[in-house]
Amino acid sequence: MINYIFDGTFDGLMTVVYESYYSHQHPNDIFSEVNHQINFLGHGVFVATDIDKSDKVQNAITTKISKEALRNIYYVYLSELESSYMLIYKYVRLGFKIGKKIDYFIQNDVVHEVTKLSQRVKHEAYKMIELIRFKEVKKGLFIAKIHPDYNVLPIIMPHFAERFQDQYFIIHDEKRNLSAVYDKKAWIIIDMPLENISNMKDTEDYEILWKMYHKSISIEERKNLRLQRQHMPKKYWDMLTEKQ
Amino acid sequence: MDLLEKIRILADAAKYDVSCSSSGSDRENKNGGIGNAAFYGICHSWSEDGRCISLLKILFTNICIYDCSYCVNRCSNDVERAIFTPDELADITINFYRRNYIEGLFLSSAVYKSPDYTMELLIKTVKKLREEYNFNGYIHLKAIPGADVNLIRLAGLYADRMSVNIELPSEKSLKLLAPQKTKESIIKPMSFIHSQLLEKSESKKLMRHTDKFVPAGQTTQLIIGATPESDRTILKLSENLYKYYDLKRVYYSAYIPVFNGNNLLGVSSPPLLREHRLYQADWLLRYYNFKADELLTEEEPNFDVSLDPKINWAMKNLNLFPVEVNTADYNMLLRVPGIGLRTAKRIVKARKAANLNYDSLKKLGVVLKRAKYFITCNGKYYGECEMEKDKIKNKLTTNKNRILDGQLSIFDINNKFKNLPIIV
Repeated sequence: MINYIFDGTFDGLMTVVYESYYSHQHPNDIFSEVNHQINFLGHGVFVATDIDKSDKVQNAITTKISKEALRNIYYVYLSELESSYMLIYKYVRLGFKIGKKIDYFIQNDVVHEVTKLSQRVKHEAYKMIELIRFKEVKKGLFIAKIHPDYNVLPIIMPHFAERFQDQYFIIHDEKRNLSAVYDKKAWIIIDMPLENISNMKDTEDYEILWKMYHKSISIEERKNLRLQRQHMPKKYWDMLTEKQ
Repeated sequence: MDLLEKIRILADAAKYDVSCSSSGSDRENKNGGIGNAAFYGICHSWSEDGRCISLLKILFTNICIYDCSYCVNRCSNDVERAIFTPDELADITINFYRRNYIEGLFLSSAVYKSPDYTMELLIKTVKKLREEYNFNGYIHLKAIPGADVNLIRLAGLYADRMSVNIELPSEKSLKLLAPQKTKESIIKPMSFIHSQLLEKSESKKLMRHTDKFVPAGQTTQLIIGATPESDRTILKLSENLYKYYDLKRVYYSAYIPVFNGNNLLGVSSPPLLREHRLYQADWLLRYYNFKADELLTEEEPNFDVSLDPKINWAMKNLNLFPVEVNTADYNMLLRVPGIGLRTAKRIVKARKAANLNYDSLKKLGVVLKRAKYFITCNGKYYGECEMEKDKIKNKLTTNKNRILDGQLSIFDINNKFKNLPIIV
């Protein structure tokens, strides 16, 4: 039983799974060096990310378990919870044993945890798809700022790239200092602070129209602020034009 | 008049329309255009009444030649009036969409000058969106009762969904409150849209590409509580609309008194709980294989407002319960209060892997608070009382908030019972 340390990337985690299988060494725990450089370097094996090995593991998951299982694993990874790495490892092991039927084993704690956590990440990604608000900071350039609990940028970018094919846009995750940039052809996620661009403001005309619309569409006799909050959690209100 | 004023007036005038979902269309973005309809529908905001905002729901104009007494826009009512131009409306739609405020447009209108003239204005707007802006987001258009079928066909080629509002659940009520609309003027466009949909799906079998005609189908809306129809009458009507016109949804809208004159009689607050019960029953029709006759009878034509329709049905059919969760078939599981569509599917899946015990039911999402009176788990019954109607009802209603939640939770209980259901 040993501790594995990897670079924090998804490919890195998949490489850990590969190494552990082929060296028959079960992990005691798995850490990302991003978080645990000092405490654990001395006590663990550092696994260098290897794309080929990662691909092999991902292929094996797709064929021996299911595409859905791989998606669940990826979502759990994006939760960025320290405990998620071991959870993924256990889930993969179980999956290799029982195959695609794994999702029937809802009563199993590992499966239950994975399903629950993946649901939570998926849910937040969906909330972002609903609640992101873009500002046109320069003619033809749209920017949105978010601060989700989980690292959902990679999940939501395909959605926006598809619908805003004809506009340049950036979604900036303030919490992680990551920017997803779309240039009318493709998108990438880069480590980029947004300071110089984010000072610019929307012309604000449409923001004013939107606020008016939002106010005017509500029916006074049916007022139900609790229901509104249920769907639009307060923690996201600073992103919302209509709530500013 | 500036745009801000127009939006204030025409959003306000549109707020009683309820069919504002953006689902059922998989229109894809093309040629680097803007917009991509999501089949499952996306809400982008929620107004202060807690209702979702998915589309820019707005009237083209509230200047109306009709005088329907339930309607805030009737010509005899003294309200501010406004009208957009197609350019203005298309521009707002695109700019709201680009900022991710909305999924698209839900365009309705008062009857301006004539039904045909109004329909043409709506068509001009959406044509501009589709052809000039290359907009592929969601568009829901109202078919104006009395408009020429050729205009409705043309509109249907641009829209994802169309709706014709029935407004009132019987011809008699229609005559009374909306004398200028006839049953015929409502049913005709509805059946026309239906026949176009059938025709398109036939020609789809023969040709690879046919023009899309309202791919998300048609819907309608009824006003609840302004007229004396029972829940049963309303639910039977919906059932028939689903069956014969293949409607995607029937929306129910609690009547909100917008009248400052005479004949709408003692309606003081909207019958929200009754609306809620009808929506619940509507789900049971569409997804749970219930028939309207099972839910309501001629002897009891209205829902017991204190219990949801599924519990109500279960109470009347206690002889079918309890069901064993490990063996009951899917359709019977669906009929257990506290077990929903997703939970029923999960139960069926999970019990293939292992026998289910009581604790694991919660993990699967069963609402045991309700379900425990109607199930056994490995032969054991977990309801804390005997299986008798009154005892179960008593248990279920002591925790009122649980049962009466949803839309209504901010109204105090007394108020609810005093006003509901409002049968005029």
